[in-house]
Amino acid sequence: MLEISGLRARYGEHEVLRGIDLMLEKGDSLAVVGESGAGKTTLGLSIMRLAGARLEGNMVFDGMNLLELSDEEMRRLRGDRMAMVFQNVEDALDPVYTAEEQVCEAIAAHNKWSRERIRERARALLTAVGLDEMRYQLYPHQMSGGERQRVLIAMALANDPDLLILDEPTASLDALTKADIVELLRSATSDRISIIITHDISLASALSKRMAVLYSGMIMEMGRTADLIREPKHPYTRGLLRSFPSMNTTKDLQGIPGRTIPRIGGCPFHPRCTQRIEICAREVPRPEELNGRLIACHRGGIVPLLEIRDVCKFFSSFPAVSHVSLTLYEGETLALVGESGSGKTTLAKIIMGLIEPDSGEILLEGERARWDAGFYRRVQMIFQNPKESISHRLNVLQAVREPLDVQRIGSEEERVARAMKALESAELSTDPEFLRKYPHQLSGGEAQRVAIARALVMHPKLLIADEPTSALDPSVQAKILRLLMDLQERMGLSILFITHDIALARKVSDRIAVMLRGSIVEEGPSGEVLREPAHQYTASLVECASICTRMAWETHVLD
Amino acid sequence: MHVDLWREMRSSPAGIFGMAIVAIIAGLAVSAPLIAPSYREIGPVFSPPSGEHLLGTDDLGQDIAAKLIHGARTSLMIAVGVALLSALISVVVGGSAAMLGGTYDRVCMRAVDAVISLPSVVVMILVAAYLRPSLGLLIILISLFSWPGGARIVRSQTLSLRERLHVVAARAFGASRRYILLRHIVPDLGPILVAIMIQDARRAVLMEAGLAFLGVSDPMMVSWGRMMKQAMSFTYLDVWKWWLIPAGVLLSLTLVGLSLIAASLERAMDPRLQEDA
Amino acid sequence: MAIHMPILIRRCDAVIKMDLIWLSNYAISFLLILILNFVLPRMMPGDPLHAIYGEEALISMTPEMEAEIIKRFALDQPWHAQLITYITALLSGDLGYSYYYRTGVTDVILGFLPWTLLLTGLAFVISSSAGVILGIESGYRRGSKLDGCMLSGMMFLGGMPDFFIGIVLLLLFGVTLGWAPLGGAVSPYAGHEGIDLVLDIAHHLVLPLISLVLVQIAPTYLLTRNAMLNTLRARFIMTAKATGLGEGAIRYRHAGRNSLLPVVTAMGMRVPNMITGTLFLEIVFSYPGVGTLLNTALSARDYPLIQGVLLIVTVTVLTTNFLVDMTYVRLDPRVRYAR
Repeated sequence: MLEISGLRARYGEHEVLRGIDLMLEKGDSLAVVGESGAGKTTLGLSIMRLAGARLEGNMVFDGMNLLELSDEEMRRLRGDRMAMVFQNVEDALDPVYTAEEQVCEAIAAHNKWSRERIRERARALLTAVGLDEMRYQLYPHQMSGGERQRVLIAMALANDPDLLILDEPTASLDALTKADIVELLRSATSDRISIIITHDISLASALSKRMAVLYSGMIMEMGRTADLIREPKHPYTRGLLRSFPSMNTTKDLQGIPGRTIPRIGGCPFHPRCTQRIEICAREVPRPEELNGRLIACHRGGIVPLLEIRDVCKFFSSFPAVSHVSLTLYEGETLALVGESGSGKTTLAKIIMGLIEPDSGEILLEGERARWDAGFYRRVQMIFQNPKESISHRLNVLQAVREPLDVQRIGSEEERVARAMKALESAELSTDPEFLRKYPHQLSGGEAQRVAIARALVMHPKLLIADEPTSALDPSVQAKILRLLMDLQERMGLSILFITHDIALARKVSDRIAVMLRGSIVEEGPSGEVLREPAHQYTASLVECASICTRMAWETHVLD
Repeated sequence: MHVDLWREMRSSPAGIFGMAIVAIIAGLAVSAPLIAPSYREIGPVFSPPSGEHLLGTDDLGQDIAAKLIHGARTSLMIAVGVALLSALISVVVGGSAAMLGGTYDRVCMRAVDAVISLPSVVVMILVAAYLRPSLGLLIILISLFSWPGGARIVRSQTLSLRERLHVVAARAFGASRRYILLRHIVPDLGPILVAIMIQDARRAVLMEAGLAFLGVSDPMMVSWGRMMKQAMSFTYLDVWKWWLIPAGVLLSLTLVGLSLIAASLERAMDPRLQEDA
Repeated sequence: MAIHMPILIRRCDAVIKMDLIWLSNYAISFLLILILNFVLPRMMPGDPLHAIYGEEALISMTPEMEAEIIKRFALDQPWHAQLITYITALLSGDLGYSYYYRTGVTDVILGFLPWTLLLTGLAFVISSSAGVILGIESGYRRGSKLDGCMLSGMMFLGGMPDFFIGIVLLLLFGVTLGWAPLGGAVSPYAGHEGIDLVLDIAHHLVLPLISLVLVQIAPTYLLTRNAMLNTLRARFIMTAKATGLGEGAIRYRHAGRNSLLPVVTAMGMRVPNMITGTLFLEIVFSYPGVGTLLNTALSARDYPLIQGVLLIVTVTVLTTNFLVDMTYVRLDPRVRYAR
């Protein structure tokens, strides 16, 4: 019913929409999400032809090309066949008319009915949107935000439109009112085409079947809303989801590095993208469809960094690792959770090439790992006990530059400079006194930071962290975890986080894989695994963690 | 509000035009003693324009062009005098009302409202009819009726400036009222004061001309308004063409010039009005 | 700003309080004029009779008349007695005695007032409605050629002194072309009746009216246009467009109606200006209204008459202002309720 192809919108020299393709049938609901300035509202207004921008492309609505209609023909469509619900800002309603008058006007704009009939319809609409009858004769300034939003919805529904565009319909409402309005909108959007423009992921998931992620006027990713939220495939979508507080994710909030740079060549997201390659700055990616998901990315979305395929390892016929397959994507944290002896560390050592697997293969960036210098430049590991992982004969500076010395990277000065930078990244001091310290002179937290700096000095893509904080005090642990998350946000570092503590895994990981007796028994998005554990073992892990928490609470708080 | 008034003015054609007009008239006024020293000399009456008398002579036989130039002098002095005096009263009353608040503020604002709703020209006519004011008295008189509008603007501006974060911050580290007024508020009032002064000047020029046109100001003062009044009595002769009209045109040009400056100032200070190119 | 019952009651109080504030404003203005009228002549050097009536008047007065006036205004009494007499006289509508017309000031003014009211009233209605309509149209077409022409034309007109516009029109259409009469409100001794009288009045009215409208249209136009530019930015305009309303409804029912609010407030401010303009134009066109009367009184130095004119003009201005305030309350529901 609504087919948009190659839609471009320009305000003067500034192109706000750069080629939008959309196809919506009756009953479809599409959420358009993105940061402010992405062009979401312009898209909505462009469909209504109210944007005041120069439009190019095609917009066919019910057989009519909207860009070819005259202003008068377009006016007759607006408010009748297509309607828009605006954000409830202070002046979204005319301050000098009552609620009922404004709804009446919306009806009268498209119907030559008698005054009585229009009034009747208006009252029915206001009742339908849940406005109290006592409030019909009030002026906008006398109503609450929620009531004004209801009136705006009633105005949009006045002539039973086929296409309904909602622009941030619940912004600036309190949580309870928002829930009411969402309920109302759910029923209002059924049986028509609806487009929900919002930066609120939870609203998008409540109201839409499909979701399009807009960035700098381009659709970066589009697909079924549930899939997109469960498993974002574009780095921008993932960044957006990570920055949004939600009841479904458990990982701490992370941002997206940098900010939108308008008018940039190539992929608009490339300056902020951690997996960019040379072509990203040069060419605009074309949206491509894969398994019902549309992705505009030269790398086909978030790339798998590490693939473990059917790896087995036997220690004298005892299966330490059996048929393990895992994929770790660029910029994500995968927590490998299991009790001691479950094979987690063995798996880590296999990945690092410290133990040879009996069967299966390890792929790094799509190529078979050869565990050569190039491999260790991209993959680094930190250990449970940092002090032991650093030779007691090396001071801080020597320890951090050791990998560079080993690989003979750069000149003497370059090595020192890179080591200093790595130390800064790990939030460590770079004054000479500290650089001359030996491991036994460092605290546990400092030692782990030195270990992290030593890993970072190679600019790795993947960091394997084996119980990196279990030897540390809780306060130090929190700071180290925060550091790892920041590094991930900034550099797109992928982390394989090995731990026995599922409560810890919950706060730092995007996905969790649970390992039991050498096998992966469950794997999925952290929130999902924790909320609805599929495997008995996982369920018991989660339960134990909660029982511990509850017991602690009961002993200390209820005492 | 950070506004570079001078730059904004230069970028507006209306503002440039207005400033050019006012500058020329002010130039005439300042150099009047040099270019028209003999405006009180009496010659033949009602002589038409000639090489000797560029715009002829009036009913007293005085050179009209010379009188016009001296009329500019009167207007300029009135404009500058009233602008300064009236703006001063506006700042003192408006600023103190905003800073002190309370009953004092309410009393001041009542007074402002009361004076604003009076038909000030008619009141001034009455007072002038009794006092026959000279230039200085006229400046005081006009100022007494011009300040309330400015005071109201200064007050609201001061109130909003007072709530600005940098002023609140200054108060938070213990700055005195005097310090805040002089260091933070008065400088920020600058642009709006310029606008108020231009408006006051325009009103003053118009008022002086009007009072002179009615014949209630000091008869010794050379004034465009008085020239028009005198010329009006001789509309049956042709003299209005080089007597009445030039005086009216000069007066109108001055007023239009000041209006254009005021309008472009208003535009410079209200960014919402700036979009029309 | 939800309304609950207790607030509803307090709200009524607030409205009454606002009315009182307005009324007190008018009372203060009126009092100022009274004080000025009373004090000014008595501050002049010489005896009060001398000061109030001036040299010229006294020459034409008989000793009996002088005695009568001194008695009537208690001029030989201390000042507070004079004040009481002054107020009592005012309350009974006695504004003093015009020696020039040799009758009571009130009667003289009432004879001239209707023409002024006719001229001002018509000019007020025409200039306000034309200014609002032009302002709405011009603001809606912001940036267009028409808007640009109107804007510069209005800025120019608004800058002109009113009496000079009148003089130019009089010289052009009255003196040079002879299309309009040179003065007066009706043709003397013509004895017109009925429709002829109306036409004759209109013929005399047209030039002063046009001059007045030309001068007064600019401020309303400029204010409306500015208000339009702001209103068109409001979100409810987008809402109205999305509802599919026609251009006319958006321009007038929504943008125009909302832009009217600041314009109406400013109309009150414009009334004094308007009346002053009328007075000057009456003098230019020798139109027999209060302005011409004032001019006569000024040249005859008939001070009681000048004072009377001032008082009447003030009362008219204050009354119109009050009416404008009342209109504003009707126009803006935000003031009508919940203040």
